[in-house]
Amino acid sequence: MKLRTYKNFFRESIRNIFRNRVMSFASVVAIMSALFILGLVLILAFNLEHIAGGLESKVEITAFLHTSVGSAQSRAVIDQVEKLDGVHEVEFISKEQGLAEWKENLGEKGVLLEGYEGKTNPLPDKLILRIEKPEYVGSIIPSINAIPEVDKVNYSREVVDTIGKVVRIARLVGLLLMLSLMIVAMVIINNTIKINVYSRRREITIMKYIGATDSYIRWPYIIEGFTLGIIAAFFAGVLVIGGYNLLLSRGGQLGGSYGFLSLFQLLPIEGLIYDIVLAFLLVGCGVGVIASILSTGKHLKA
Amino acid sequence: MIQFKNVSKIYENGTKALSNINISIGRGEFVFLVGASGAGKSTAIKLILKEIEPSKGTIIVDRKDITKLRKKEIPYYRRNIGVVFQDFRLLPDKTIYENVAFAMEIVEAREKDIKKRVPSILAMVGLEDNANSYPHQLSGGEQQRATLARAMVNNPSILVADEPTGNLDPDTAIDIMRIINMINHRGTTVIMATHASEIVNAMKKRVITFKKGVVIRDQEKGGYINEA
Repeated sequence: MKLRTYKNFFRESIRNIFRNRVMSFASVVAIMSALFILGLVLILAFNLEHIAGGLESKVEITAFLHTSVGSAQSRAVIDQVEKLDGVHEVEFISKEQGLAEWKENLGEKGVLLEGYEGKTNPLPDKLILRIEKPEYVGSIIPSINAIPEVDKVNYSREVVDTIGKVVRIARLVGLLLMLSLMIVAMVIINNTIKINVYSRRREITIMKYIGATDSYIRWPYIIEGFTLGIIAAFFAGVLVIGGYNLLLSRGGQLGGSYGFLSLFQLLPIEGLIYDIVLAFLLVGCGVGVIASILSTGKHLKA
Repeated sequence: MIQFKNVSKIYENGTKALSNINISIGRGEFVFLVGASGAGKSTAIKLILKEIEPSKGTIIVDRKDITKLRKKEIPYYRRNIGVVFQDFRLLPDKTIYENVAFAMEIVEAREKDIKKRVPSILAMVGLEDNANSYPHQLSGGEQQRATLARAMVNNPSILVADEPTGNLDPDTAIDIMRIINMINHRGTTVIMATHASEIVNAMKKRVITFKKGVVIRDQEKGGYINEA
């Protein structure tokens, strides 16, 4: 097709949006509402994921080294442990540090530990391993136990299992919510466009009689579906992101006064904004375009 | 120009609309298709427009067997046929000028040509003063003239008219017939399905009479027979 024909398509689509302004407005509102709800669910799902990730990083394994192990050997052990699959971070706490921490914890009674510095320090060096996912614990424990310098390995099986379970459920719920709302949004957008095209089926018939090709008839509808999708995605984005920002500014105060809530701190907006905008554009415009193709196809066949 | 060879059409619901029709229409002819409702004339028109497929037989238009046209070729085939319907079928949101220009945009005519051709064809049907009106602002006769302009703007070699005067009063109908006749005089083959006996009788053209799906009479300078 020629360039001027595409120019005509754009002119036609924009005119059609204004000519059928009631239908266009209704379409934008319907698509926007669908995207808005999808946005809420996305935020919920992302936050669930965020919390899940936070919980996972709480999984720790402590490995105590033999008291006889020197600092050079400890270095070698750290290197070895860091290479294990699933180890996110290794923190080394020397016997001196351990003693100092212990003293601090005892507060006034810390004096009791005096005289244990240096050679008489009874504490072993220890490694604290932060694990990427609870699933890795099973393979990491035997690997560490196999290291000769390691005396004892400590971890709470129950905590690890519970965290693993919670995280799995949270992720599954998030995914299911996201998928189902994605489908709901697609159905709503598809129906909206379908009604829009249906209300103008006569026009399609007339165009066919005067010899318009299918793609000639389709293009303006596709551009229209795309445009309505973009407009709806824009407003839905403003609503969702604005609303979330408001919640964050209120929620921040809440988290501040109740320290334990910090575990459930909401994701900052920067981490979400691109995913949400991308999802809105994909769902809004993508479905707008596909729905336009499908519903014009139905009338073109007849 | 147009040939029906042993054409039969049975609709999906079992209605036998045409049985074994043989018609030959030459280039530049003016032919009336007449008959009662359901006699088969509308089916014949739909077959020519390739809106439906025959159940049997072949239809040749312009030396081409149109029953063998691929779906993609249909729009291009239709561009060679101007169509006029009883209910006008103008695009309600476009002005008369835009409606006619639209038919040229579809064939990707140059804007320069559109600007030249549309006013002249509107003048031919006597609508030069109504170019910027919308269809609903015009009378039935004016709307039908607009559809004639749209049908002819790309210079098709065939004009198909399905009851073009069906919604018009007798005086307006005569007006429309005058334009159609002029189009025919300029060389376009005209096929017109109608119920209007006065028009058929007055025009003294070839008349093909359908009854219950068969051609019962095919007469040069014929008339309308009421028993059909």
